[in-house]
Amino acid sequence: MSLGGLGRPSLIAASALTTAGVLLSLWGALGRRSGPTEAGRRALTAGAAFVGLAGVALVSALFAHDFSLEYVTSYSSRALARGYTLAALWGGMEGSLLFWTVLLTLFSMIALRRAPAGDTSLRAWTAVVLGGIASFFLLILLFPANPFTTLAEVPADGNGLNPLLQSPGMLIHPPLLYTGFVAFSIPFAFGMAALLTKRLDEGWLKQTRRWSLFAWSALSIGIVLGGAWAYTELGWGGYWAWDPVENASFMPWLTATAYLHSVVIQEKRRMFKVWNLVLILLTYFLAIFGTFLTRSGILSSIHTFTEGPIGKWFLPFLALMLVGGLALIGARLDTLKSKNRFDSLLSRESAFLANNVLFLAAAFAVLWGTIYPIIAEAVTGVRLSVGPPFFNAVFIPIGLALIGLTGLGPLIAWRRMNTKAFFRMIRIPLVAGAAATIAAALAGVGSAGALLAFALCAFTTVAIVAEFVRGSRVHRRRARVGWPSAVARTLMRDRRRYGGYVVHLGVVLIVLGFAGSAGKVERSEHLAQGETMQIGRYTLRYEEFVRGETPEKQISQINISAARNGEVVETLEPQRNLHKVQRQFQSEVAIATGPVEDLYVVVTAVDPDGSASIHAFVNPLTWWIWAGAAVMALGMSVLLSEAGPRTATVGAPARVHRPLVATR
Amino acid sequence: MQPAPASADPKRRAKFLIGGGAILLSLIALVAWALGRPNSTSFFYTPTEVVALAAAPGGDEYRVNGKVIPDSVARDGLTTTFQISDGKTAMELTTDRPLPDVFWTAMANDSSEVEVVARGRYDGEIFLASEVLAKCPSKFKAKAA
Repeated sequence: MSLGGLGRPSLIAASALTTAGVLLSLWGALGRRSGPTEAGRRALTAGAAFVGLAGVALVSALFAHDFSLEYVTSYSSRALARGYTLAALWGGMEGSLLFWTVLLTLFSMIALRRAPAGDTSLRAWTAVVLGGIASFFLLILLFPANPFTTLAEVPADGNGLNPLLQSPGMLIHPPLLYTGFVAFSIPFAFGMAALLTKRLDEGWLKQTRRWSLFAWSALSIGIVLGGAWAYTELGWGGYWAWDPVENASFMPWLTATAYLHSVVIQEKRRMFKVWNLVLILLTYFLAIFGTFLTRSGILSSIHTFTEGPIGKWFLPFLALMLVGGLALIGARLDTLKSKNRFDSLLSRESAFLANNVLFLAAAFAVLWGTIYPIIAEAVTGVRLSVGPPFFNAVFIPIGLALIGLTGLGPLIAWRRMNTKAFFRMIRIPLVAGAAATIAAALAGVGSAGALLAFALCAFTTVAIVAEFVRGSRVHRRRARVGWPSAVARTLMRDRRRYGGYVVHLGVVLIVLGFAGSAGKVERSEHLAQGETMQIGRYTLRYEEFVRGETPEKQISQINISAARNGEVVETLEPQRNLHKVQRQFQSEVAIATGPVEDLYVVVTAVDPDGSASIHAFVNPLTWWIWAGAAVMALGMSVLLSEAGPRTATVGAPARVHRPLVATR
Repeated sequence: MQPAPASADPKRRAKFLIGGGAILLSLIALVAWALGRPNSTSFFYTPTEVVALAAAPGGDEYRVNGKVIPDSVARDGLTTTFQISDGKTAMELTTDRPLPDVFWTAMANDSSEVEVVARGRYDGEIFLASEVLAKCPSKFKAKAA
């Protein structure tokens, strides 16, 4: 049954209740009164419930094929599989904004409920900020991007979902990205509330630490899944094109990663207070800016499946956020003075600072490349575009420096370290790096960048493993247990530290996969049945042409055998299909994947006589990107499994962290 | 842990400024160097401009965008040839790179509305494209919009 009719009334009610909630919270905040604050929270909760109802209304309309709604007609059809009918919720602009708002109000309610009860003004200001953001999105849903617009004439069937979006990756990738973006609202709102209440100790950081980690984890996995989707669906043999939309998700990831590291400094040494507020402001700004960039249509991109008239609505909101946030930080600079200072250049603090500088530099470089065409056109009138060579040239050096730092940082002691001890720590990782370089060079790797990447990956991996070995030794001695349980204890007893190392290890594996792309081989040939082509070590033979038909599509499948040294090692079945409802051609890639290399084959054209254009790639080490992401996800779950801050401890002195192994 | 506000000490402040300045300068240098590399940026031209520029010596690749002239598309094996136009000038374009599915979809559906962006060089007669991207504006937009 379609509940589509409930959608718009729900949004109107949600908008009214949210606005009331913001006003009540503001009253509570200004008057420091708990009555209006509590009433405000209730109003916001009721508003959130109506937003949820609107979400349910749209989903039910999609499943009930209620084609009286323009959105349902535009993004779904009767033939669409059930799973992808759900994906239609974020397949278009209006639906994805509604989905975003549902997540925002849901997260806001959870965070507000958990906020320390004793601290009325912090709670109230947080509610003002979160409710304000929700009001903005509701305004957009009511006016320029209404998902419940009805059609005068109800069609018999819908247009269906773009076949490109009909992929398992699309069921998870957009929701994860949105979850990541939206969850950053919570640390952002708490940070702003801390500024407004002048309660600028570590309280807001601790209360939102898990939110930040959760947001960052969702964003990280979301980005990798986006790459996996591009790799398996788009058929150009790569996973990252430095497309504006990809950059839009990558920029907040960069600043968020800087933030996650620099909060450690504030918690341990009470430094970087201003910096952390700037970083969370930037992260959230870039998250919204990304939405603006991709939804406004000012940049052309393969992702602009949906362009809408909502760009101009975002500009004042973005300006208010950036100017207001920075002004607020500026007004509180005196209270934000750091109590500590750098003791030595060779210290963990400096390593964290270097990490932050590099991440911010990377974010700036990516931002510059993304908006340079707009600036150039506005200033000189010249139309130009910035391509992957620019992004690779700026990002590879910064990325490599970061990978080296990932290994180096944890080896350096807090406050200061003498040079001798430092060299003793890096001796073994350095040897490993050198060995990896020599091995890779002997294996025929010629690219200097790739050799450096392999060296740094080996250096960092060994440095991380050494940390685990040192930690486990202590557990082995104390508890007299074997290595496996000692390693498990090391990990679980200090999850923040060792969970972080596991994430680092995942990143190293991903970089290994990136470095492999230096050895990428690509070839196109037009083959008749029985003909062969060479690519890398493989001989591909066009074996057979298979035609097929399903209710959704006409299938043209080319069976290809891949032989190495005269022996068939793989059979690949790439397809080129015609989706009937959308009348859309869609190539289905065939990939034989493995740790050494992927053999990747696409059919780009089929002639009536059965001859076909074959586009083949050999992608070395790409497999490690997905393996690394799995390792990262493991590390993230260890980090997230640590118990959150208890409400009662807020305001009490910071819990003293006593790791079994000295943090040096 | 001696409490010492960063700004109180002029020596520290100078160090901070020099360090920060050096970092900023190296970042600007990196970005400027990267922008200057071949094919980092490419200019956008219309077919009219490309044909007018024909005499200029070849350097970096550039981009050209225009509408595909229906019925001009011919494919022979890997090579696809067609004409694009900006309404004033029609230009022949050829590529041996695979064209995106979107291109063929758009051609099969509404061949009068297909816009492409091609990257490549013009040899005086024909535009040799190393990459062709296609856009079909109306396909996935709501009918009522």
